[in-house]
Amino acid sequence: MSGVTLRNIKKAFGTVEVIHDVNISISQGEFVVFVGPSGCGKSTLLRMIAGLEETTSGVIEIDGTDVTCMEAAKRGVSMVFQSYALYPHLSVFDNMAFSLQIASRPKDEIKQKVEEVARILQLDQHLDRKPSQLSGGQRQRVAIGRAIVRQPKAFLFDEPLSNLDAELRVQMRMEIARLHNQIGATMIYVTHDQVEAMTLADKIVVLKSGTVQQIGSPLELYDNPDNQFVAGFIGSPRMNFLEGKVVQGGNDAPDEVRIELVEAPNSSVPVTLSGPKPVPEATVILGIRPENIETGNPVSAEDDAVELSLKTEFTEELGGVSYVHTLTEGGVRVTIERRSDRNHIAQDHISARLPTRHLFLFDANGMRLR
Amino acid sequence: MGRVSSGNILLLVFTLIAACAWAFPLYWAIVTSLKPEAEVVGSLSLWPQTVDLSSYIFALFETNLVRWYVNSIGTSVLITAIVIVISMMCGYALSQIVFPGRRMLFLVVLASFMVPSQALVVSQFVLMHKFGMINTWGGIILPQVIIPVVVIVYKQFFDSVPRELREAAKLDGCGEFQILFKLYLPLNWGITTALSIITFIMAWNNFLWPFLVTTSEEMMTVTVGITQVGDSFGVQYARDMAVAVMAAMPVAVAYLIFQRRVTQAIMLSSGIKG
Repeated sequence: MSGVTLRNIKKAFGTVEVIHDVNISISQGEFVVFVGPSGCGKSTLLRMIAGLEETTSGVIEIDGTDVTCMEAAKRGVSMVFQSYALYPHLSVFDNMAFSLQIASRPKDEIKQKVEEVARILQLDQHLDRKPSQLSGGQRQRVAIGRAIVRQPKAFLFDEPLSNLDAELRVQMRMEIARLHNQIGATMIYVTHDQVEAMTLADKIVVLKSGTVQQIGSPLELYDNPDNQFVAGFIGSPRMNFLEGKVVQGGNDAPDEVRIELVEAPNSSVPVTLSGPKPVPEATVILGIRPENIETGNPVSAEDDAVELSLKTEFTEELGGVSYVHTLTEGGVRVTIERRSDRNHIAQDHISARLPTRHLFLFDANGMRLR
Repeated sequence: MGRVSSGNILLLVFTLIAACAWAFPLYWAIVTSLKPEAEVVGSLSLWPQTVDLSSYIFALFETNLVRWYVNSIGTSVLITAIVIVISMMCGYALSQIVFPGRRMLFLVVLASFMVPSQALVVSQFVLMHKFGMINTWGGIILPQVIIPVVVIVYKQFFDSVPRELREAAKLDGCGEFQILFKLYLPLNWGITTALSIITFIMAWNNFLWPFLVTTSEEMMTVTVGITQVGDSFGVQYARDMAVAVMAAMPVAVAYLIFQRRVTQAIMLSSGIKG
């Protein structure tokens, strides 16, 4: 199978294991994003694929070939670094041509390839300049160009947009997406920014403490997270979590449980589960995304919903959307997204409805109950 | 216009006196070399009454000065080239390549920095004698090519090159030698130039070792050779000074041209900056 495959990958620094038994399969031409908080091992994993870090155990295959013990240059991958890693003493042309010069390719071929890539990346006017004479965005394009010129089997991006300002980051993000469509190569991209992950990826790998939490398309992860970590990490603003307990099994339906929220002790709501049900009195976590909380008239009055009284703290007005930051009586933060309703919330306390069809249920260990 | 304080004036006067005290022997050597021998011993004038170049003509044509020049230039250039290349490679290995015993090796390099060269001359002389290298360029050069401070300075500079550049070069297909010569060396041309100049000056000025290892006048370097002028021809001050001035000339010219680099190298090797 072409693409990149990681099987039972482990990485230890001394006695400390930082990557635990990772299995990922990436198809040819797929854009995969490794996402997770700082220190989750995403960059280490990328560097292991690149051959810049040794693999403690497991197998890495690129294009069907076992490259686990192969040196970096022979793996057929190119990497774009966060710091660009352009050779400061070489011109843009020489930076892009460097790998071909090392491989002793004919001068005509080098010139033709570099100029072609420079044209795609709109760098043809800057080929004689040194990296220090370029803007951040241009430097990033040179770094990408240097990667393309090698015609690798896979592109590896290690937080390539982190050093750019917000506007340029959005612009470069679009350029990378366009480039992927244009050349159709396998791309593996590391970021801690879940917006970047959601907008670029065909498939997202969510990592936490060196363990894969979930692999799926952006919307799969958003709509159907496997655990509380993924639910909280994917989505901006993050999902709201409220603690509750199982009060009893469903009366009418056998696959239903009733949950009573700690924040609303006198009412319980039914939640339908298809899998194993938690035992009565078990602690559970209810999750709901900010856009699914209703503050005005109920969207559908027939819906079961948890009623909550919330104290407003402050509101972020962003124009098309506003985020109301509130606290429950117990002091749990709840963020509400309002899109259509631009009326300012004047009162200190608001009443919010949490429709049960939008609720996610997690056990005390954070695993999803479906 | 700022006011000049009396403290500043005092400092200026002191500096000027110090500069004069330092420069006067050099001035005196040049002036003496331009005087006829009779005037040197006859009067103590600060300026030659008659400018006479016969001492220089003597030094050039009646002594082995040209040969000593060739020996000094040849050995100093070779010492500089070898020192720079091996120190750069050693500094690179200590800085960038992970291998068992790396730390210990660095400590050994640091420790060898503490050993004065005078303490080694006897064993080095015995070694060179056993190699049959007395009175050869090889004998002059070999013991001088190990300069730990150059290794340490290179290591410090290579440590400060961003790790990503080396990784990018690796991914671009470079081996260690290519990374060193195509990346680390061009990125450190400044320090390489500075270290080259100071190594050249040190090799040119070295007296003790070439003095010990050369007994034939044909193989002497300038610093050793000038001691032979007085021995052979009695004390002739003008001639001695002419030879001394000519011996010092290349170093003085090199210093004047590369003043900034030399200062930088001295600061680096003495640990003031780096």
